[in-house]
Amino acid sequence: MADFVALFLTDLVLGLLLGCVLAVIAHGLNIIWGVAKVVNVAHGEFIMLGAYGAYFLYLYGGFNPLLSVPIDAAIGLVVGMGFYFGFLYRELRGKESMGLQSELVTLVSTFGLSLVIVNIAQSIWEHPVGILWSPGAAQVGPVPVPFGGLYVAVVSVALIALTDLFLTRTYLGNAIRAYTQDIPATQLMGINPTVVAAVGIGMGFSVTMAGGALLTVWLPTGIDPTKIGILYAPISFVIVVLGGPGKMWGSLVGGLTIGLIINVGQLFLGGSIALATAVAVLTLIPILLFRPEGILR
Amino acid sequence: MLRLEGITAGYEGTRVLRDIGLEAKEGMATVLIGPNGAGKSTTLKVINGLLHPTGGRVVFQGNDITKIPAHERAARGIASCPEGRRLFPLLTAEGNLRLGAYSPRGRAAAEETLASVYDLFPRLRERANVKAGRLSGGEQQMVAIGRALMSKPTILVLDEPSLGIAPKLVSEIFEKIQQLRKGGLTVLMVEQNAYQALRIADFGYVMQEGRIVMDGPPDRLLDLEDLRKAYFAIP
Repeated sequence: MADFVALFLTDLVLGLLLGCVLAVIAHGLNIIWGVAKVVNVAHGEFIMLGAYGAYFLYLYGGFNPLLSVPIDAAIGLVVGMGFYFGFLYRELRGKESMGLQSELVTLVSTFGLSLVIVNIAQSIWEHPVGILWSPGAAQVGPVPVPFGGLYVAVVSVALIALTDLFLTRTYLGNAIRAYTQDIPATQLMGINPTVVAAVGIGMGFSVTMAGGALLTVWLPTGIDPTKIGILYAPISFVIVVLGGPGKMWGSLVGGLTIGLIINVGQLFLGGSIALATAVAVLTLIPILLFRPEGILR
Repeated sequence: MLRLEGITAGYEGTRVLRDIGLEAKEGMATVLIGPNGAGKSTTLKVINGLLHPTGGRVVFQGNDITKIPAHERAARGIASCPEGRRLFPLLTAEGNLRLGAYSPRGRAAAEETLASVYDLFPRLRERANVKAGRLSGGEQQMVAIGRALMSKPTILVLDEPSLGIAPKLVSEIFEKIQQLRKGGLTVLMVEQNAYQALRIADFGYVMQEGRIVMDGPPDRLLDLEDLRKAYFAIP
């Protein structure tokens, strides 16, 4: 019994730590989808690119994943803005709002982008690669707390807090929120909708790629280009829907929920992470039935 | 101050406006009245830049702004209070007001202007932290006018400020508009509530089926027998 309690507490702590990093990768999607109204099917591929960014910074610069976060974030910002001007600008220019047709355009164009990225990645990187970084662990009672996961969790929550501050406390951030609600009305405020959409999408990609760097700490078998996109994109969508699209702290609530269900759940499911992940995804059904606006009000 | 010259405009092939010419003079309140569907709101969209005309010119302070996008017109001092108010429902009343000060001319003086908007509409000070979507129609109209004022505009363009608000508040809103105009602000207003609008106006235009059919000082327009019958339903 004491053994089980120790196991349970360990999984509880690990679940919360994992939840934080899942939250931050989903947060990137939350911004792109909930705020900029772009359905980014290539989300998983940008998480993967963020992870590779961290890998190359480690390989050539000796950076640990935490140090590569700001660099990945900067690259993500540029990539996101490039994506907006390359793929979406012509479709969205002059539109009064993101109608269904425009959302479908984003869906199809990001799906195409996802295929391109994943196939190039698989042809370049045939084997999973990993980052060797183990800052150790602290023993808290019966529970070992890995410092790597702890640091990553702190940075993840800080990133979410930063985006929330930006969106609620600055003129540009509020303009992005207003853009989501009524595009012509933002123009009447003197807000250039092109700038606001580009910054919003850039910010989403920025967080996504930074999240990819943070995720590497949780990839013990290394970065596998055949798996990252397929696994983490759907989880991100589930987290965003759980927390409520467009709600910044919804990402954290959804991420912690999924992290806990996966880690604590596998304890009761014979140690099967796959089964626990399936259960985590299934939580979508009751949420969509009873609280379609997400856990957060 | 602001002039439309020979404006023709419409939506996807249907022509709504035909050869519209009007002028809002500096320091004056100009109103545009007419029945539903006459093209009043469309005319304002041509002015604020949300609709680009197929012909004619929009001239503001001597400059041709016909091809300038909506957000730059706002930054130059044309503040709009659009049809249906178009507040950002998920932002608070104050969040909406502050966003009105987005352009450089408004941002520099945002705090002072905010205080003056609260002085103009004391009710908003109490409702500052309420989401705009939860405000009453009258309060929403106050926020919409306040939001437009936050940009420190040269001209205030109002689309049907009396629409969807309690009759008691309508006269209060008109009083406030008159107060702003007395404070030196140029006002251009579209109204269906022609009688009340003309009472605070310096000059009026009457629209019908996409054309300007009459213009003149308000007392002359109010005197015209046929106008009374057609638009005011006063026997």
